[in-house]
Amino acid sequence: MIGDRPFIGFDNYSFVLNDSNFWKVFWNTIFIGGGTLLFQFVMPILLALSLNEVFSTGFKKFTQMAVYIPHLFSWVVVGGMWILLLSPDTGIVNQILMAFGMEKPITFLASQDKAPWVIIFASTWKEMGYTCILYLAAVVGINPSLYEAAKIDGANRWHQVRYVTLPQLVSTMKVVFMLNILSVLRLFDPVFVLRNGANASTVDVIMMYTYQKGIMEFSVAKATAAGFIVVISTLLLTLIVRKVTNYDEG
Amino acid sequence: MKRNGYTSWQSRVFDVINTIFLLTLLVTMLVPLINTAALAFSSNFASMQPGIVLWPKQFSIEGFTTVWNRMELYRPFLNNIIVTVVGTLGHVILSSMAGYVLIQKGLPGKKLMLTAIMVTMMVPSEAMMIPLYIVNKELHLINTLYSLILSGFVSGFSVLLMRNFFLSVPYEMSESAKIDGAGDFRIFATMYMPLAKAGLATVTLFEFVSRWNQFLPAVLYINDQKKYTLQVALKSLIVDTDVTSSNFLITTNVRMAGIVIALIPLLIIYPYVQKYFVKGIFLGANKE
Repeated sequence: MIGDRPFIGFDNYSFVLNDSNFWKVFWNTIFIGGGTLLFQFVMPILLALSLNEVFSTGFKKFTQMAVYIPHLFSWVVVGGMWILLLSPDTGIVNQILMAFGMEKPITFLASQDKAPWVIIFASTWKEMGYTCILYLAAVVGINPSLYEAAKIDGANRWHQVRYVTLPQLVSTMKVVFMLNILSVLRLFDPVFVLRNGANASTVDVIMMYTYQKGIMEFSVAKATAAGFIVVISTLLLTLIVRKVTNYDEG
Repeated sequence: MKRNGYTSWQSRVFDVINTIFLLTLLVTMLVPLINTAALAFSSNFASMQPGIVLWPKQFSIEGFTTVWNRMELYRPFLNNIIVTVVGTLGHVILSSMAGYVLIQKGLPGKKLMLTAIMVTMMVPSEAMMIPLYIVNKELHLINTLYSLILSGFVSGFSVLLMRNFFLSVPYEMSESAKIDGAGDFRIFATMYMPLAKAGLATVTLFEFVSRWNQFLPAVLYINDQKKYTLQVALKSLIVDTDVTSSNFLITTNVRMAGIVIALIPLLIIYPYVQKYFVKGIFLGANKE
C-alpha cells in the first residue's frame, strides 16, 4: 500500500458504480435498511403511547425493563440467539408453529425471501425498547393541562392519545428519525452475523461488499471507493431529511 | 399520570385492547430470553430434543463447564475484560480532558475544533473500516489487543457530552480558583470532575457497554485465536460451527451457555445503565 500510487482519477468509483454486484447490495441495503427504519420508527411510538396509558406502575416498569434489555446485547448475541431460536430442528419458533398445527418447519434463515425480514425483525426486537424510553421521557414533559382541556372538550381516551400525546411527540420523532437514518447505510453487524451461503444474495449489504472487497479480496482501492460512496450518500440523505422535516426549526 | 374519571365501557375496551397489545409484545420479548436461559441450564441430551422449553429440562450446568473449560471461553472472556476496562478508563479520561479544554474562554479556534469534532460524528465508522485496517496494519497492531483498545479511544460524542456537563459548572468558580493559584489540571481534577459525576457515569457506562460488545474492530484486527475477544469467539461458536464440525459435539446448551456468560457483566450494570442512558442520549442529540 505504501510506495508508488499513480493517480487514476475516478476509475475505482466507476468500477464500483458499474459493478452489478454493487447495485444488488445497494438495493438489499435499501430494502433491509428501509424496512428497519420504518419498523424502528413506528413500533417504539406505539409502545410508548400504549405504555403511557397503563395505570399499574408495576406492569409499566416491568414491560419497560423487559423491552429495553436487548439493546444492551451485542449483535453476535442477538443474532446467535435468533439463529438458534429459528432453527428448523429444535428452535422454539418452529416448535410453537408446529404445536399450532403447521406440518413442516420453516427454514427462516436459509430462505432468500424470509432472511431479510428476519434481520428487520431482529433489529426492531433489539432496539425497540431503547427508542421507546426516549419517547416516554418526552411524554413526562407534556403539560397536564392539555389533557384537562381536552377532557372538558369531551375527548375520550383515544382522542387524547391521538390529538394530545402524539402531536406533542413530533420533535422527539424528528430526533429519533435523524439518528436512525444515519445508520441505514452503515448496516453491517446484523448481516455479518445472520448471513449464510443460502441467503447471501438477498441480505448482503453495501458494508458487506466493502468488507469482502477490502479484507477478503484485498482490492483496497475499490473497497474504499464503495466506503466513500456510503459516506457521501449518508451526508446527502441527512441533509435532505433535515430539509424535509424542518429539523432545525424545532 | 393518572387521568381518572373514565369508567365508561369505552374506556374499559380501550384498556383491554391496550393490555392485550402490551402482553403480546411482552411475550415476544421474554420468550426468547427465557428460552435461552432455560436451554443453557439443560443437559446436553435434553437441549437437543425438540419441544417448547421455558424451564430447564434435566437441570445441569454441563453447558457452562463445557464452554468454559473445553471450549476455553475463559481466554476470550479475559481478553474482553482487559480491552473493556483499559479502553473504558482511557476513553473517559481523554474525553473529559478534551471536554474541559473546549469550555475554556478565549481558546483560539474553538469553533473550528467543535465543527471538526462534529464532522467525525457524521462519518460512520463502518465506512472507514478499510482505511482503519490499513493504519493498524502499518502500525503493526494487527493481532494485538492494543488495536482494540486504541480503536475508539476517544470519540466526538463523549467529548461533546462531557463538554455539555462541564458547561453547567459556573465558570466563575474556576476563575476564582485560578486567582487563588490553582493550576488548570488541579481545577479540572478537583473541581470539574466531581461536579460532573453524572456525566462521567454516563460516558463510562456507554463506553463499557459498547466496548464489551465491540465486534467489527475485533473481526478486522484479530485473526489469532488466542487474542480473540468474546464476541468473535461467540460468533465462531454459534454461527460458524456446525453441530458436528469440531472434534466433539457442540450441543445447543453449550451455545446458549456461551450467550449467557457474555451477558452476565451487562446484566450486572443494567440498573445503573437505565438511570443514566436517557440523560446521555438527550445530551448527545441536542441541537447546537
